[in-house]
Amino acid sequence: MAWSDVLVAVLLGLAVVVQLGSVLGLLLMPHVYDRLHFLAPATSVAPVLVAGAVVTREALDHQGIIAVLIAVFLFAFQPVLTHATARAARIREHGDWRLQPGEAARRP
Amino acid sequence: MNAWLWAGASTLVLLVPCAVRALHGSTVDRLLGLELGGVVTALALVMLAEGFDRSIYFDLALVFTVLSFVGNLVLVRFVERWV
Repeated sequence: MAWSDVLVAVLLGLAVVVQLGSVLGLLLMPHVYDRLHFLAPATSVAPVLVAGAVVTREALDHQGIIAVLIAVFLFAFQPVLTHATARAARIREHGDWRLQPGEAARRP
Repeated sequence: MNAWLWAGASTLVLLVPCAVRALHGSTVDRLLGLELGGVVTALALVMLAEGFDRSIYFDLALVFTVLSFVGNLVLVRFVERWV
């Protein structure tokens, strides 16, 4: 077994584990804002791992370029969708996304 | 079966919990299940395309990723105000 095959298997295994963690977080977390955080690993780390596996096997030919494009697209634009979803949850909950009167701002 | 097909099949199994989340819970919870299911499907398409050595299916995964993002964004805007 060549080293590239081992690397591909490791990258794919890591991608599946990351996605499994995200799916479990989506199922088990108690609140919608907690669940939102678990979208991030599956949409930013896992696509990069899969693209790395494809590029390791195919180099930057058609498949490699498409896999990198998918990873870059998800990495760049999925946070926009996550933000929009959090905004929608907040508006459905309070009628507005801004801080409500009497609602304390939590600062770290 | 090679590593790609194992990984693709495992990723497809992960669609089941996403479907569970998309079928139960509040409207926003269902939306989260749909969003994660879209990403998982796109990655499964990439893995299976590589495993079956069909390069044309990579284009399908790319188109699915873009359309899934646009569709989810439109759905979020509707859920925000009208649904």
